Amino acid sequence: MATAIELETSHGTGHGDDAGHGHAEHPPTSTGMDSRKLLMWAFLASDTMFFGALIATYMTYRGRSEELAVPPYPFDILDIPYTSISAFVLLMSSLTMVLALSAIQRGNYRGLRVWLLATALLGSIFVGGQYFEFTEFYHEGLTLQGNMFGGSFFILTGFHGTHVTIGIIWLMTLFVVSLRGGLSREKSMNVEIAGLYWHFVDIVWIVIFTLVYLIPYEEVENLAEPAAQGYLWLSTMASYAGSLIR
Amino acid sequence: MAAIVHPQRVPAPAYAAPKPEATGLWSWLTTIDHKRIGILYGTSAIFFFLLGGLEALIIRTQLIRPENSLVSDQRYNELFTMHGTTMIFLAIMPMSAAFFNYIVPLQIGARDVAFPRLNAFSYWVFLAGGIILNLSWFFNMVPDTGWYGYAPLTSIMFSPADNVDFWALGIQVLGLASLAAAFNFIVTIINLRAPGMTMMRLPIFTWATLIVNVLIAMAFPAITIALALLSFDRFVGTSFFSAYNLVDGNLITTGGDPLLWQHLFWVFGHPEVYILVLPAFGIVSEIIPTFARKPLFGYAVMVYALAAIAFLGFGVWVHHMFTTGLGPTVDSVFAGTTMLIAIPTGVKILNWVATMWGGSMVFPTAMLFAIGLVSQFTIGGLSGVMHAVVPVDQQHNDSYFVVAHFHYVLFGGSIFAIFAGIYYWWPKISGHLLDERLGKMHFWLQFIGFNMTFFPMHFLGLAGMPRRYSSYGEESGWWFWNVVASIGAYLIAISILLFLYNVARSLRDSRRAGDNPWDAGTLEWAMSSPPPVYNFRDIPVVTHRDPLWAEKYGSHAVPADEGTLDVTLGGAKVGEADVADEDPGKQIEHRMDTDDTHDIHMPNPSFYPLVAALGIFLAALGLLVNNPWITFQLLSLPSLSVLGLLIMIFGIYGWSFEPAG
Ligand code: HEM
Ligand SMILES: [Cu+2]
Repeated sequence: MATAIELETSHGTGHGDDAGHGHAEHPPTSTGMDSRKLLMWAFLASDTMFFGALIATYMTYRGRSEELAVPPYPFDILDIPYTSISAFVLLMSSLTMVLALSAIQRGNYRGLRVWLLATALLGSIFVGGQYFEFTEFYHEGLTLQGNMFGGSFFILTGFHGTHVTIGIIWLMTLFVVSLRGGLSREKSMNVEIAGLYWHFVDIVWIVIFTLVYLIPYEEVENLAEPAAQGYLWLSTMASYAGSLIR
Repeated sequence: MAAIVHPQRVPAPAYAAPKPEATGLWSWLTTIDHKRIGILYGTSAIFFFLLGGLEALIIRTQLIRPENSLVSDQRYNELFTMHGTTMIFLAIMPMSAAFFNYIVPLQIGARDVAFPRLNAFSYWVFLAGGIILNLSWFFNMVPDTGWYGYAPLTSIMFSPADNVDFWALGIQVLGLASLAAAFNFIVTIINLRAPGMTMMRLPIFTWATLIVNVLIAMAFPAITIALALLSFDRFVGTSFFSAYNLVDGNLITTGGDPLLWQHLFWVFGHPEVYILVLPAFGIVSEIIPTFARKPLFGYAVMVYALAAIAFLGFGVWVHHMFTTGLGPTVDSVFAGTTMLIAIPTGVKILNWVATMWGGSMVFPTAMLFAIGLVSQFTIGGLSGVMHAVVPVDQQHNDSYFVVAHFHYVLFGGSIFAIFAGIYYWWPKISGHLLDERLGKMHFWLQFIGFNMTFFPMHFLGLAGMPRRYSSYGEESGWWFWNVVASIGAYLIAISILLFLYNVARSLRDSRRAGDNPWDAGTLEWAMSSPPPVYNFRDIPVVTHRDPLWAEKYGSHAVPADEGTLDVTLGGAKVGEADVADEDPGKQIEHRMDTDDTHDIHMPNPSFYPLVAALGIFLAALGLLVNNPWITFQLLSLPSLSVLGLLIMIFGIYGWSFEPAG
């Protein structure tokens, strides 16, 4: 039987959390995929559920403040052109992230640092924009406590902003490590993993941006009558599934 | 052809010799050895199990006669809340984690888990969560809103003191520990398998571990978010889970919905019950074949059933909410999915029975507990299907019938299996056998006590006795069965004392258990008991399921996956079994011996995981001790929390930049 072939794929200790500071070559793994990369994928799957729960909460309360006539309303507050620009900035940072990875893979360390810095900078512009947006909304009367729109909006977008901030700190850490000569070409996996995280956070923003900003809210005047039923979004989905079966 | 061959050493760079195993407190605080971490999890879990048991005994003593006044109503609420929370998060889950840690790397032929320091971090964070929850006793602000913490009872309006915060932050921290461990085990099982250990050759306990950790990774986010929103409601004054909010002295109708809590909680909660019971299924799936002396019946089907249960488990949460008025459509859909989940569960039970069928059964204590699970869990499963029927459930809901149900699945399922696992793997972990005579006394006493305690609760529930009430009137007619239940609880307590005595005795026993006292088939039995730090001197090459059996009895005894045979049920193909195609195997070339291990490289101990966990502990504590109904301004955050966060960041950076050795 194929023991000889199997031996070639065998691994030694296989522990992977030396974060690239241990031995240069990692012992091969059962799947061939780097363990830290697999860890990041597992984390991202879980993180999807984190955002999922928050998005479900947001969708549950979408329209609730209008129904109950508790201002401020989203259509009075949200500034779609402004946020479109910052969304564009964030998307561009995914591009620079790709460039950073390809730079280190080619051994171009100067390029790596330039693109890492650019990505962090674009991310910071996004977070700065969000900070400004939050302050602006606050002055227009939108608070965490005042109505459901405020609470669910700030928590959802704030959670995302926290993700971006952590990403920026991570990128800057890589930048400093690289400056001190600690990021050689063999350690490009460190950049690749940070990149996975960064792209994920970008993609999530596309979803949030669509659900929170782009899909239009019904103006109060157009609301036929306040929906008496406070059905939750989750159970609405369930009844939808139910009606399909019936 | 041998099942395990060691013709060549796995080519390894010239590493330094492993240091001799250190002892002493510091070595335990900095350990990153999966076996030691497993032992830490196990001992902590037993401690919390005793604590939760003590709480249960007080509850049962309170209920031993009508209108009893042993504890106040408030104390009673605290006791059942802490009992449930402790048993679920601090006893069963960490006990499962103990087995994951100790057994899984051995079963897959690895030297450790994929991220040993992350593993240590998980343990310390778990301990921090357990301490936070139980610190509440010292501040006399004990969580008192049930393990499910239904809104709006948990809101500031109805629970103004810190009780709920101890609960929310404690579980939040515990969830962090579980998530970190889950990622680690997913990667370990997928990536660190020995050569030849294909996914369909994984021992079934390892499969259960993989699936449970996927469940944790996907289900815990819901409770984390729910708890975070709850904490926002309580600390910052949002109204996610209550319809009204007090803003600047005005009461406004914000339209927050208490039911959102129930949705988020049970979207986590139902997968959570499988997180509690699937490891148990994995454990008995190892034990039953070993003592029936034949391979597990329908291995592949067992794997698919595990996966099916896990998948369906995300689509049934509303069966906990049949009385909340979601409407007939929603209720019917979820009644349907709930009944569906009984199918893969039934498949597992039938497969265990089929494994025993025609086997040359032997009945050591471990096997008794395993069969205990098969019988008792079935009773719990059946009452589960009963309250899948909506109109029936509307009678059962919040009555003792539900208490009977979940104790049959959790005690009759998880706890019985955990004891089965302890009796089974104890010789591997300690090097000594547990006494069989004491063990059997433990089993029978626990079995009788368990049924005395929980079977009458079916009657009590149907007779209308509600859950969570601290007392009942004499005219209710509930007295008799409550007395029976309480006596049963004392019997369980005695049986647990017997168990502890057995453990203490075995540790002082001079006789050694040997490498493979049960003549079992999986890899953890291939090395000395207890195993050396590096587990395997040579990483084994696996060609069969149950490799030790294949090697000893020849591969005809154990199906290999080279050829396959259809498994049919009622004429339809339900899976594939593998056919043996080889000669009886040879002996394993050499056993693990301690010399000649100079090329084994083991990572260094590290104290950064402990530091990072300590930071998290302080951060959570900071939110509690200042009793802060703070406004959301960064500066007014309690300084202890900020300090904690800084320590955590220091720990994480120290850990990332420390050479792994
Ligand atoms: C055959 C599979 C099962 C079915 C059909 C089932 C069904 C149900 C239903 C419908 C309820 C809600 C009863 C009510 O509150 O009115 C329930 C409660 C419960 N079940 Fe199960 N169940 C099953 C298996 C399990 C398992 C395996 C566990 C744990 C290991 C479990 C643990 C629980 C717990 C803890 C509760 C009570 C939660 C609470 O209200 O505190 N169940 N079950
Ligand atoms: Cu359930």
